[in-house]
Amino acid sequence: MELFIQQTVNAISLGGVYAMLALGLAIVFSIVRLINFAHGEIMTFGAYGIFLALAFGLPPAAALLFGLAAAVVMALAMERTAFRAMRGADVVSLLITSFAVSEILKVLFQNGISPRPVPITFPPAWSGAYEVGGITIGVVPTVSIMVTFTALMGLSFILRRTVAGMAMRAAAEDIEMLRLLGIRANRVVAVSFALSGLLAGIAAVIWTAQRGSVDPLMGFFPVLKAFIATVLGGLGSLGGAVLGGFVVGMLEVLAQAFLPDSLAPYRDAIVLAAVIAALLMRPDGLLPAASAHRS
Amino acid sequence: MKLKSMLLAAVGVAALSTAAMAEEYVIGVMSAQSGYLAPYDGPAYAGFQFCIDEMNAKGGLNGKHKVRTIVKDTRSDIAEGVKVVQEMLDGGAKFIVSSADADPTIAAAQITAADGVPTMTFAGTAPVLTQVGPHVFGSYPADNQQGAVLAAYARDEGFKQAWLVKSPDSAYTNGGPEYFGKAFEALGGKVLGESLYTLNQPDFSAIVTKIKAADPAPDVIVTWAWEPDFPALIKALRGAGVKTQVMGGDVMDTPTVRGLGEVVAGSVHTSGGFPDEGSAYADFIKRFEAKTGTTPDNNYYVNGCDIAHMIEQAVAAAGSTDPKAVSAAMANIENGKGVMSNFTFKGTDRMPLREVVVARISADGKKEFVRRAIADPATLPKP
Repeated sequence: MELFIQQTVNAISLGGVYAMLALGLAIVFSIVRLINFAHGEIMTFGAYGIFLALAFGLPPAAALLFGLAAAVVMALAMERTAFRAMRGADVVSLLITSFAVSEILKVLFQNGISPRPVPITFPPAWSGAYEVGGITIGVVPTVSIMVTFTALMGLSFILRRTVAGMAMRAAAEDIEMLRLLGIRANRVVAVSFALSGLLAGIAAVIWTAQRGSVDPLMGFFPVLKAFIATVLGGLGSLGGAVLGGFVVGMLEVLAQAFLPDSLAPYRDAIVLAAVIAALLMRPDGLLPAASAHRS
Repeated sequence: MKLKSMLLAAVGVAALSTAAMAEEYVIGVMSAQSGYLAPYDGPAYAGFQFCIDEMNAKGGLNGKHKVRTIVKDTRSDIAEGVKVVQEMLDGGAKFIVSSADADPTIAAAQITAADGVPTMTFAGTAPVLTQVGPHVFGSYPADNQQGAVLAAYARDEGFKQAWLVKSPDSAYTNGGPEYFGKAFEALGGKVLGESLYTLNQPDFSAIVTKIKAADPAPDVIVTWAWEPDFPALIKALRGAGVKTQVMGGDVMDTPTVRGLGEVVAGSVHTSGGFPDEGSAYADFIKRFEAKTGTTPDNNYYVNGCDIAHMIEQAVAAAGSTDPKAVSAAMANIENGKGVMSNFTFKGTDRMPLREVVVARISADGKKEFVRRAIADPATLPKP
């Protein structure tokens, strides 16, 4: 039972990171129909921001804020320089643009910073553990779960209660109608990128706190998983992205924890097979968007 | 008369330049500039070229054969690696130095097999890599040597029960802990269990929770995980309150791992060498720093330099630059002189027998020397 509770904490913690990344992908996709594979590099850039801030002697908390800001700036820069010019292009062109941006950034990180991972050292207290009723739980997974839920609730508030959020939801429904109503579409799109950058930045903070290093390829795998999560949840559906993120993360951890060792090499295959099975039953995803756009 | 002397001079110059060209020894170098091999190929190539330049300044290998290198980027992609090896052979390469891992080296060796062009990996340590053919060579102490030396150290320190963390995704990450396990059990230790991970696994908490719940508990955890997996694993272990001793392969011997702070303090790893005061290795570091302004902060630099020495000694012993003769001579080297350590190919399956250093990471992130040993070939775990 103790093992199960600990593994569940692990699963929610990883699922939370995927959920945030998936949500970042979904926000942008729902508005501009772009599956942004360079989202991982936004996360990597945020992590390098933390590394540089620590290297320049900023206190850890300030370094985290700097990392978040770096991710937001990178997301906005990406939108302005690469994706705004491609607005209205078909999904495939946008997808290829995002791959190009991703590759360019990876090479820049490799040559401009280091091809090797660089260490990020937070105070030891941040990576400790505590006991509740005889069960030891790590500080980082706990904080990551708390941060994830706070971020998701905050985002939900922004989307439902603020003008910018409502404009974003309206843009997701019909961006032309939004324009006709006199709302500046560029601003709405920029805000959506900024929000997705912020979510990638939060994911970067949790990821580096758990993993202790950042390297040029860091963002690729989590964003791949997040993409799977958005498809599982329903492409374009924000709630679906969050649900998909948690499902993928939990499946991964539980498969690692409870599959027999002889099946361990097939772990990823089993997780993906489960995702495919779910999509066969619900082709539009677990929580499809109101006007579903299937890939 | 004037015309005659001019003609003579021209013929003389042509003859000299032909002689110089004939002496030129072309070495093809696979060096990944991007991707997962870049952190290893980059330093290894820098050290290799540095020592080749030093040799060329003295007239080339053994003062006779000027070396020209053809260096091509593989982007850490095996298919690209195969392509560039073919290009280098077409460009006249008589020796190929391949990327720092077993898999690209095995692929390259398939291409060089036809002409028997000697192929030596920058730092691949999986002993299986030389099984491709008699023209394939390792340069770094192999995983089974590292595993055997580390296991002997662990037993000497009184560790009895090990837990292995390995990944079947690469020969290195899988083989290292397995060799350790075999040697550890041969010395009376017991392997309690093992956990498998995938390369670039997002999360190690499930593995850590399993290790933590193991009954009886292991007193040493052994892994050959590389970056960024090793930092993730050690952070997860210490974050979950698991204080068990961690030991690992030479891939832990990096500034990134040492820079992780308190979580890695006390961890023990193998290493190819240690720059003792006044040693040839320390001198290499000084010369390299003076010329390039870069401090060699890992063993791949010096091992790259040692590859240049291995080639030089093989060419000297062969008495020619013929690829097959060089391969045969290389395989016969006994106690060859290296900068990181000496090397013996004779009696091995072309993974050189070399000293292995055991080192500990101190609380302030320094590499502390623990011991230096050569694995006993008689008891070496077989690939």
